[in-house]
Amino acid sequence: MGTSRHVERRTVLKAAGAAAATLGLAATTGCGGDGGSGDGTVTLRYAWWGGEPRAIAIKKTIALFEKKHPKIRIKPEFTDYEAFWEKFQTQASGGNPPDVFQNAVGFLRKYDKRGVLMDLKGQADAGNLSLENFRNGVLANGQVDGKQIGIPVGANTMALVIDLKAFQKAGVTPEFGWTWDEYFTALQTIQDKLRIAGDTGYFSIMYLYDLYLRQNGKAFFTDSGLGFTEDDLTQWWEDGHKRVKSGLVADPKKVEQVKPKSALSAGLAASEFTWDNFSIRYEGEGESDYGLAPIPTGDGKDTGQYLGSLMLSAFSGTKHPEEAARFIDFMVHDPEVGTIMGYDRGILATTEQYDAFTPTDDNNKGVKAYEEEVAAAGALGKITPHPSGADVVEAAFLRIGGEVAQGKSKPADAAKALFSEAKAAFAG
Amino acid sequence: MTLVKEAPARPAGKRRPAAPAAGRRGRRRENLAGYLFMSPWIAGFLLLTAGPMIASLYYAFTSYNLFTPPKWVGLDNFTTMFQDPRWQKSVEVTLKYVVVATPLKLLLALGVALLLAQRRRGQGLYRAAFYMPSLIGASVSVGFVWRALFSDDAIVDRGQKILGVDVGGWIGNPDYVLYALVALSIWQFGAPMVIFLAGLKQVPRELYEAAEVDGAGPVRRFWNITLPMISPVLFFNVLLESIHAFQVFGSAYVVSDTRCGPADATLVYTCYLYQKGFKEAQMGFASAMAWTLVLAVGLVTAVLFRSQKKWVHYEEAGK
Repeated sequence: MGTSRHVERRTVLKAAGAAAATLGLAATTGCGGDGGSGDGTVTLRYAWWGGEPRAIAIKKTIALFEKKHPKIRIKPEFTDYEAFWEKFQTQASGGNPPDVFQNAVGFLRKYDKRGVLMDLKGQADAGNLSLENFRNGVLANGQVDGKQIGIPVGANTMALVIDLKAFQKAGVTPEFGWTWDEYFTALQTIQDKLRIAGDTGYFSIMYLYDLYLRQNGKAFFTDSGLGFTEDDLTQWWEDGHKRVKSGLVADPKKVEQVKPKSALSAGLAASEFTWDNFSIRYEGEGESDYGLAPIPTGDGKDTGQYLGSLMLSAFSGTKHPEEAARFIDFMVHDPEVGTIMGYDRGILATTEQYDAFTPTDDNNKGVKAYEEEVAAAGALGKITPHPSGADVVEAAFLRIGGEVAQGKSKPADAAKALFSEAKAAFAG
Repeated sequence: MTLVKEAPARPAGKRRPAAPAAGRRGRRRENLAGYLFMSPWIAGFLLLTAGPMIASLYYAFTSYNLFTPPKWVGLDNFTTMFQDPRWQKSVEVTLKYVVVATPLKLLLALGVALLLAQRRRGQGLYRAAFYMPSLIGASVSVGFVWRALFSDDAIVDRGQKILGVDVGGWIGNPDYVLYALVALSIWQFGAPMVIFLAGLKQVPRELYEAAEVDGAGPVRRFWNITLPMISPVLFFNVLLESIHAFQVFGSAYVVSDTRCGPADATLVYTCYLYQKGFKEAQMGFASAMAWTLVLAVGLVTAVLFRSQKKWVHYEEAGK
């Protein structure tokens, strides 16, 4: 085959066309749509994290919203927790986060500081969003420096999930106001009688340590930093490590190996601290019966508990602030949405939704009873602030706590490492 | 094809004068066509490779959290990096991985290539079967399969228990989990194996025949003929596989459930880089890490190239 030295004009044009097409393609994929269209229909992007059941329920609520608001379309985006925040960070830094998204207290200040979150007070004043009827003062969870940057959809609190059969067999009954000493004695009894560990690894849970600190007049976070000392943490981790070695707390290697199952449902231990609305997972995973028990205390009274919550936030730069506000309003107040969502994101935050949903299964009934009990005990305090960088600190706490448990790090060194990582996180 | 000096006769009307000016114009036009055909690639290279690389080189000297504009900090990122215990840990983990995984993988690749180089029935099938893992090995799903194989009470654990070794799965055990990654790397020995096979085919038969006549056994033949003759191929594989090993990410990320743990046991370099960049939003630090890796890999490559003289035999040099 011979090549002609004289390339035909047509070839040149074709090549030019191909090149232009490629560049054009790159250009169009580079930018997102602005959500508007000719007939006045507005499209909002709505993003959340969570598992399959939550996605199914939320899609139902979206369909309901679109039926009632035919001029607004909702484009859902969902992933798991880790992926959500990685994606969100990239989107937000590029000025293209979703219009409405699920949020949590650990991220409020971080993204407020970066100007990503809309102050919804303005929309409330304009009548597009109601800030009324929130239960137990939970609305305050979405406030930072006088701004309302999150609207709670649910409320939850820390609980001790126990393997009922194991506790019965060991003859241990958890009671309101029990102390940490009594709790650890109970774990010892369980170990002696059943030959299994009592707990799955309490000392790596940042939110539990927060409760412990609050019981002692401190808190995990202050507005801008950590509310405890390196010595406090060294002590906490040293005790934890001792209990792993003595078998009171489950072998961390095993805990790691049974993932994604929890160590409690895998039968490695008889109890686990977690958020009360997460407790629903255990029935599905494990073979025993599970129940909610109170948090141990220091003085027999103060549990240090407060209501945490998931919330909805809007992007400060959204092209459709009014529609975004209306959408959030619908999602937190509409009674039908309440019956669809149930307690998936915590106990429903507004009275409209709370009254509309009556739990029928034992799990949800249990969560409701537990929270009512906690509220009735008068133990609920106010949430402590989470500074910007709290999310990074939480991940570090879990990781470094795991290193202590695995015997890969000495408690004193670990506490030092956490403090240095926290310093960097708060500065970022 | 024969080379023609004179251009074939053209119809009189279209004939062009053979003036030098026209030739230049033709060449220019040909060049233009070439560039136009290349332009999608060039645009892609500039936009997606060269641009980001230059940008990241700049970010390496800044503090940059993606939101506020990058702030010039000079060498700060590098000094904090070298003092960061987790960075040191990631270097340690990566070196361990490279030093253990690369030789084992190449050893297996060479061993299997030697077996497959002999003529036997169905050798095409064997070659395809051994090559297959290299094709699918980089996928996320294989990472999940690996996790399932090496976790507690899974097939590997049960097999070990039968042999009386009870470590309870490799995934949750900081002392073993890295070796699950090493195993995954070794399993993908297909690519270097194919290259070894090609190398083995190049070794002249006469050498073996001559050696046999002189009474050399198989081991002797391997050490004195095969190995020196394939040393350029071996060099190529060592180079490629070690560079590859330095950049391991996907398997570590998936097998250890995005946390590169437990207890940072699989915190390979790129995993830490990813965490710093995308979880903690320290893009400046992450860029500094990336460029340090580039320099380190460059250094290793240079050392390997230097070492060639000692052990790589090229035919030209031998003659």
